Amino acid sequence: MGDPERTEASTVKSDALVTVPVGDDISPEGLVVALSGGEPAGIGPDIALAAWAQRHVRNAPAFGLFADADVIAERRDRLKLDVPLQLVTSVREAGRVFRHSLPIIDVRCAAPVVPGKPDPENGRAVITAIELATKAVAMGDAAALVTNPIAKHVLYDAGFRHPGHTEFLAELAGLYYPGKTYRSVMMLAAEELRVVPLTIHVSLATVPSLITADDIDFTVRIMAEALRRDFGCPAPRIAVSGLNPHAGENGTMGTEDRDVIAPAIERLKAEGFDVRGPLSADTLFHPAARATYDAVLAMYHDQALIPLKTLAFDKGVNITLGLPFVRTSPDHGTAFDIAGTGLASCTSLLAALECARDMAIHRSAAALRS
Amino acid sequence: MPISNPPTNDTRPRIAYLLGDMTGIGPEIVARTLAEGKLAEVARLCVVGDARVLEMGIRDAGVKLAWERVASPAEIDWADFAKRGVVPLIDLANVDPAAIKRGEVSAVSGKLTGESLAAAIELASAGHFDAITFAPLNKQALSKGGWKFPDEHKMFAHLLRHNGYFSEMNVLDGQWMGRVTSHVSLREALDQINPQSIEAAIRLVDTTMKRAGVEKPRIAVAALNPHGGEGGLFGMEEIEMIKPTVDKVAATGIDCSGPYPSDTLYIKAFNGDFDGVVSMYHDQGQIATKLKGFGRGVTVTAGLATVFTTPSHGTAFDIVGKGVATTGALESAVRLAAEIARRRLAERSAAP
Repeated sequence: MGDPERTEASTVKSDALVTVPVGDDISPEGLVVALSGGEPAGIGPDIALAAWAQRHVRNAPAFGLFADADVIAERRDRLKLDVPLQLVTSVREAGRVFRHSLPIIDVRCAAPVVPGKPDPENGRAVITAIELATKAVAMGDAAALVTNPIAKHVLYDAGFRHPGHTEFLAELAGLYYPGKTYRSVMMLAAEELRVVPLTIHVSLATVPSLITADDIDFTVRIMAEALRRDFGCPAPRIAVSGLNPHAGENGTMGTEDRDVIAPAIERLKAEGFDVRGPLSADTLFHPAARATYDAVLAMYHDQALIPLKTLAFDKGVNITLGLPFVRTSPDHGTAFDIAGTGLASCTSLLAALECARDMAIHRSAAALRS
Repeated sequence: MPISNPPTNDTRPRIAYLLGDMTGIGPEIVARTLAEGKLAEVARLCVVGDARVLEMGIRDAGVKLAWERVASPAEIDWADFAKRGVVPLIDLANVDPAAIKRGEVSAVSGKLTGESLAAAIELASAGHFDAITFAPLNKQALSKGGWKFPDEHKMFAHLLRHNGYFSEMNVLDGQWMGRVTSHVSLREALDQINPQSIEAAIRLVDTTMKRAGVEKPRIAVAALNPHGGEGGLFGMEEIEMIKPTVDKVAATGIDCSGPYPSDTLYIKAFNGDFDGVVSMYHDQGQIATKLKGFGRGVTVTAGLATVFTTPSHGTAFDIVGKGVATTGALESAVRLAAEIARRRLAERSAAP
């Protein structure tokens, strides 16, 4: 297996795409989600088209797609999908046409798009789509933001200077919701498990020295707030995993659990947080253990992702906590090797759309309560 | 010590069968499997432990089991025992069940359990047994009882005066899980992962699986870093160390491949893409295998002179003495020990 970005989207037979007669109950909440198209040479167009085609099968919310309409049309024809497209000028308008056609807010690409062959010349369009979709959420046109995968190295070649998608969104948040700086926290969620990795895209060798009491403190607070406001958990229960095997077994297998993680947890407990740990990661994810918490704070990427992928393979959703708006994304990469082939599965995108809708509903209910 | 058993052409391996930590379900599941007798197809079983603990297990399981003390394994006439339907017992007379509370960690029991293991290891080293299968131990009790080892595998290696590489492997439904590092801090694990230890782990998994009858195991090697390092962005170990080592070992005829990003590797293995996985560190392999239910599986100590197997589950304090503990994993442990030992014996007798 080579480029990891090419491996994660699983496959679905295109005959699984079912278009059922359109009813009036497509988005009873009246919510519309802004979907940024992502890297056009990747599977973004494929999964957006497939998600619209399956909108009834999975009760997805209405969404407006920020992408190049010609690229979407070309991909639709290549995939032989029966998806009518409709150009719209706002997400609000997208909500009105979504029942009958896939609404697109047109963001033109500078260069021709070839599936599987990303072109840095289109980087500007990819970034603009994210900016416009975020703005639509900030303006109140859209209830939440869902972002399709981007290829960072392509954007770097186009002059993108942020470490990643999420950091870029945090900066946009500061622009559209001024007066505050935003620090984001990545959560991965599926029906079976919600988990936040404390450290993410760093080598494992650097992880032990990156585990700090301050970061644990900050992250648990963000998680607790999100669980209360966005996930309908009035009394959030958070489990914290250990860094070392058996959570260090009282310092006999590594001291970070005893000296860094445990004291941070004790301080949070003293403030009234329902937080437990550090707990041995290998016994933290079976069904009986999962029944005892609402989310896990894991210490590193694979400690969070191994249980999530093993439990929920392609149904995971990537959620950004700590922003002033709801943002989710499918939990896979651009999958250049299968773009335009019909092999890409929209399962994770549908889950991301549904998750964003549910979070937005919880969040507006919470706003009404307060 | 010369072995003076009556001459026999019985090729079933001789297995020392240990009752485990008596505070747990070990005695009752050992008694139940012996009473059912199914395992006699594959092995000659001799209990090594205390007669009183075996009796307790028989009572807990609610089974009938005839046993008879032997002073040494050397004097067992296996054919005669089999004919009479009696199980031989090396009575260590060291554990008084009346003096130890069950269902909780006991330092005394831990100390004595360790001594029973040491006695069995000595008998196996002297050539009296071909393998050792033990009912669940309690790591905490062992440690409190003075056996200060990170895990029992390191204790076995110590008792066998073993210096080379060895490791524990977990086996379930034909899936084998090995690892480069085990019960050490993550920082130490990172220090211990090098081309030599990776190669040793791959070879050990390959050898052990072949010894257990898997002809050409397909072995996947896990990456160390997220996304397998993403082309060097998050760590160079995959590029500089793991990939070259995997390629080098593969060139010697072992069917190994990798490194694979670990978040999706285990589910691929469970779906049948591979027969075995070599993990880099403890939690990497254990999170997935415990989710898959490897508690129903078997743990093998691989790479030592003596074959050790045990159920992967623990002492199950919550159901001790109720007679409800299931024996599937223990039976698998005996069968696996028997298979590995049988092949080893066949190899030896084939050698000139």
